[in-house]
Amino acid sequence: MPPKSAPAQRPTAANAVQTLWKAYNDNTSNRLKFIDSFLFFLMLSGIVQFVYCVLVSNFPYNAFLAGFASTVGQFVLTASLRSQVNPDNRDEFKEVSPERAFADFALGSIVLHFFVYNFLG
Amino acid sequence: MFGLRRLLLLAVGLASFVDAKSWTGNTVLVVVEPRRQDDFSIFFEGLKDQGYQLTFRAPMDEKPAVIEYDEPSFAHVIILASETKNFAKDITPQSLINLANLGTNLLLGLSTKQTPLASLAPDSLVPIKPTKRDATNILSKDLAPVWFSGIPQALGNNPLLVPILHAPAESFASEIDGGSADALLEASQKGGEGLWAGSRMSVVTGFQTTDGSRVTWLGGVDILSDELALKTISKGVKSGNIQFGRDIAAWTFQESNVLRIEKVEHHRVNDTEPLEQYTTNDQLAYNIYISKFNPVKDIWEPYSGLKDLQLEFTMLDPHIRIALPPVSGVPGKYSVSFRAPDRHGVFKFVVDYKRTGWTYLHSSTTVPVVPPRHDGYPRFLSAAWPYYAGAISTSVGFFLFSAIWLAGEVRESSKRPGKAGKSD
Repeated sequence: MPPKSAPAQRPTAANAVQTLWKAYNDNTSNRLKFIDSFLFFLMLSGIVQFVYCVLVSNFPYNAFLAGFASTVGQFVLTASLRSQVNPDNRDEFKEVSPERAFADFALGSIVLHFFVYNFLG
Repeated sequence: MFGLRRLLLLAVGLASFVDAKSWTGNTVLVVVEPRRQDDFSIFFEGLKDQGYQLTFRAPMDEKPAVIEYDEPSFAHVIILASETKNFAKDITPQSLINLANLGTNLLLGLSTKQTPLASLAPDSLVPIKPTKRDATNILSKDLAPVWFSGIPQALGNNPLLVPILHAPAESFASEIDGGSADALLEASQKGGEGLWAGSRMSVVTGFQTTDGSRVTWLGGVDILSDELALKTISKGVKSGNIQFGRDIAAWTFQESNVLRIEKVEHHRVNDTEPLEQYTTNDQLAYNIYISKFNPVKDIWEPYSGLKDLQLEFTMLDPHIRIALPPVSGVPGKYSVSFRAPDRHGVFKFVVDYKRTGWTYLHSSTTVPVVPPRHDGYPRFLSAAWPYYAGAISTSVGFFLFSAIWLAGEVRESSKRPGKAGKSD
């Protein structure tokens, strides 16, 4: 529950974003910020590959699928890790400790990369 | 091994046919009425001088038979019996077709009496000057006008026909009523039905079977006779009949315009041996070696004179049809290289050379063309580097993330109680 900082000026779009960013900075732990930065990197990487595929060439189609799927898959796994280690969700994942969550994440990622490199060609 | 065998074959050939000028043999059966035999003495002597062994036989004689035990007895048969209506039972149209199928060459003189196609003036005598439309690759250059007496033949649409000497452009013929003036008038009023004129008629016509044996019809046997050979066209100008007879016999007996394919090679460019199968988009090279028979020396000589040879790379349809030019410096070799189509299947290299008057050349070599094997495709393409970089960076990011996460665990856990207390 984010603290309601009473803004003097009228709420505008820019203001809302500013408020959101400030609230995120204040209330998110460093660990989650670290995960978010990795997620942001994966998102950018996926967007770049997709744009390249649309604009330039999808010719080695398997390579595109592998590269794009690796970013998407890694994003999904990392997002799962984030929700499981988030203290706010502790009630939902009672039986999953953060260490267990990371082990699941690492194993899933290794399997994912195994398939990606087999498919990359 | 191959070269040795050819050499041996050549030696045997030289030993047995020293005088032969035709490559199919030198035995000739002449069917002619005994009393007219002397009328063609210049023609027959010319053949004997060339080394042919002539056997004469009257039309009604049973022996020697043209076919014995399904084997033709003679390499060539000449039938000049123009006045005979009944032949021995082994000389029928059907047996002559059999003979041609067995590889015997035929020179047939037509009779005015046996055919329903009657000329307007069968007995008239006309000098015919060979023109460009006639078979210039069969007849000698600068042939003097040829005396002709006989009937013209209407040319059908058969592509195997070789019109050797056309009728003059002014001539015409009708098959109705023997060509009386009234019948001709009536035919012309009907739009020319049953009426033929110059360009569609030929007085000497050749025919080459797909197996290569040759048949020539003479509109009249007199074209070979001594009388017309010695008759002058005008004062001091000799007729071309002697030379014409020689040219006709040379073509019919497969002395001139005879080609054969010696060898066919195919391989990948920068390779020398053929492969069991080729891959789509391979660069293929195709060579063919062609020889021409030299009747003077009685040998096959490499021949580079064909300018319009084509190669087809065919699967049902020709996927590629490409010119097959002679290789300069290598006599008789024709070569071309091309890229195999991006299509897999059973392909054939086809060379199909059919030109009027020349031996038909046909060569077909079947090769399978397969798609690349699973490891035959190109790898690490430059176009795919963004994808490779994406996948690698994801892995590197994962390892860095894990390392930092595990290393930072201690520091983070120290903060956790405080944070937890804050959220309470």
